[in-house]
Amino acid sequence: MSNTNSLLTIKDLHASVEEKQIIKGLDLDIKPGEVHAIMGPNGAGKSTLGYVLSGRDGYSVESGSVTLDGEDLLEMETEERARAGLFLAFQYPVEIPGVSNLEFLKASVDAQREARGEEAISSADFLKEAKAACKQVNLPVAFLKRGVNEGFSGGEKKRNELMQMLLLKPKLCILDETDSGLDIDALQVVAEGVNSQRSADRSFIVVTHYQRLLDYIKPDFVHVLSDGKIVKSGDASLALELEAQGYSWLQKEPSEDELEG
Amino acid sequence: MSEWLESAITRAQGINDWLAPKRAHALDLLAKTKWPTRKTEAWRYTPLRPVERTPAKVIRDKVDLSPVVIADLSAIEVVFVNGQFDQAQLAKTLPAGLSIALGADLNAAQQADALTAFSTIKPERHIFGLINDALAQDVVVVSVAEGVEITQPVRISSLLSLGAESHTRVQVVLAAGSKLTVIEDIQAQGDSLNTAFVEYNIAANARLEHYRFALQTGSNVAVGGSHFNLHDHAKMNSTIVGFGSELSRLDTDIIHAGEFADAKLNAMYLLDGKELFDLHATVEHAMPNGKTEENVRCIVADRSRAVFNGRIHIHRDAQKTLAELNNRNLLLSDKAEINTKPELEIYADDVKCAHGATVAQIDKQALYYLQTRGVSRSKAQVMLNFGFINELIDLMPNAALAEWIRPIIRERFAQMEVK
Repeated sequence: MSNTNSLLTIKDLHASVEEKQIIKGLDLDIKPGEVHAIMGPNGAGKSTLGYVLSGRDGYSVESGSVTLDGEDLLEMETEERARAGLFLAFQYPVEIPGVSNLEFLKASVDAQREARGEEAISSADFLKEAKAACKQVNLPVAFLKRGVNEGFSGGEKKRNELMQMLLLKPKLCILDETDSGLDIDALQVVAEGVNSQRSADRSFIVVTHYQRLLDYIKPDFVHVLSDGKIVKSGDASLALELEAQGYSWLQKEPSEDELEG
Repeated sequence: MSEWLESAITRAQGINDWLAPKRAHALDLLAKTKWPTRKTEAWRYTPLRPVERTPAKVIRDKVDLSPVVIADLSAIEVVFVNGQFDQAQLAKTLPAGLSIALGADLNAAQQADALTAFSTIKPERHIFGLINDALAQDVVVVSVAEGVEITQPVRISSLLSLGAESHTRVQVVLAAGSKLTVIEDIQAQGDSLNTAFVEYNIAANARLEHYRFALQTGSNVAVGGSHFNLHDHAKMNSTIVGFGSELSRLDTDIIHAGEFADAKLNAMYLLDGKELFDLHATVEHAMPNGKTEENVRCIVADRSRAVFNGRIHIHRDAQKTLAELNNRNLLLSDKAEINTKPELEIYADDVKCAHGATVAQIDKQALYYLQTRGVSRSKAQVMLNFGFINELIDLMPNAALAEWIRPIIRERFAQMEVK
């Protein structure tokens, strides 16, 4: 695979958490506008990939390289990665009582505007945008005044993640198990929101354990992650195959010592 | 005994006014009280060196100071400048049912009542309370008549010019079924020393909304107290905001003297540099069916030190009491210090009482979450610190005060971050 025109290029990535190796030689190349699904059994390293790419403390890269738009992603702080266009939608969004959702969203948008050399958006303009985004993800406007994710249901938290994505307009979105804990109606709302954001200059990594989400968000490519490596890649039909057969046929040796999925 | 105390006593002995019997009693007690040291439990973490060596002095010359303007707050102003009540800053006409006057100016009957009530709510164990009893030159009495609801808040400001010493005292009396909001505010310009004490008597079914802003910083010494007596079905809701200083000590006492009384106390303090803030909050449940909810939050940065002593005493007759005390602290630096001590003393057997105290560092997960959205680490820290305090600001019933204090606190957090 070539670097030219790629949005994200991961080469031979090895990464560990608390001295335990989770990612063991991962390669991935994503071009603008593409949607890549990463599937795999629990403990394969799916969530770890998102944390490593976003630069979470405690997740260390031992070798390999990652570039976003040709820039060395691994050299950047977490917030610089976000300003460079990386967005991680959390599987379990964090509750922050006392910080209003509106304040949080505006601080995020302003930080990214500042990085682009733009001025902070006026409160009135931002409120208009935020209200429109609320409407689009089907969250009552009152949620802007509440503490970040405070007391939100699982579905509301995922819609709040989606709202952040709408407002931040990232180049690369990593959706970490966005389907977990959602009923079918909530799943559809989130999927529609994601689909509305698909465009020629925005790419997605959809991390999921189940094929169900991919009925709604159609991937261009499907990769199977097992024991820290991509063991198989294909088109959308691979997901259906996995649904029918499970993951066991891909795992030569079961990973007994993995931390998380 | 400290040199300062000796000089204070000498000054007090020279005062002869309507409060003479009370002042003499306080001086008697002071003569028997040992000057607190590190071995004195109530002052263990709060050394009195700044008082012992303070050069602050009584300034008798007239100084023009006026309280800060708070947008959208139209308060009835009770202003003390360097300990002297400034009658000129009090409105000429007050709402019907509200009276505010110097104790010395009351008629004989009112003065006799005020004398009887003086220093009956504030416990005698507070040494600076006794000093205030003996030295407070202008004692102001605020009273609300039975059943009257005063919508305009009363703001009591203690203003100090550079290097000044002041001892202010207010008695607030809410008659049965009345309603009042009182804001206590201390503004000092440096190297000052003040004791500011207010006693509240809240009669049956009366409601008090209370604020105390102790935003003195730097080289000011502030030792004071707010003391509340609640009768049957009386309610109070108090918010305390404190910044530290060389020495800041606040004592609050809430006494459930009647049944079915309801007390809420939310206190927050934010310390930086080498500041110290010490809050001793005592709740006495002397009667049955009372309710207390206390939330105290503190953030300490740099080398600052916070002290919290939260005592809830449930007397043997105070059955069916509900009392909750929650103290959460956030440490922003390895060199900052928090000394917290919740004390529950329960002698009744049918009560619900809970307490918790935690000391934590900033939530790393929340910090990471904010960073993944592009917010810088330092800005994220400020937001999270602010959030920790903002939960209590959101509970302030007076919106104008909440809107006023929010940016002041935000600014303080931004300063804390620079270091």
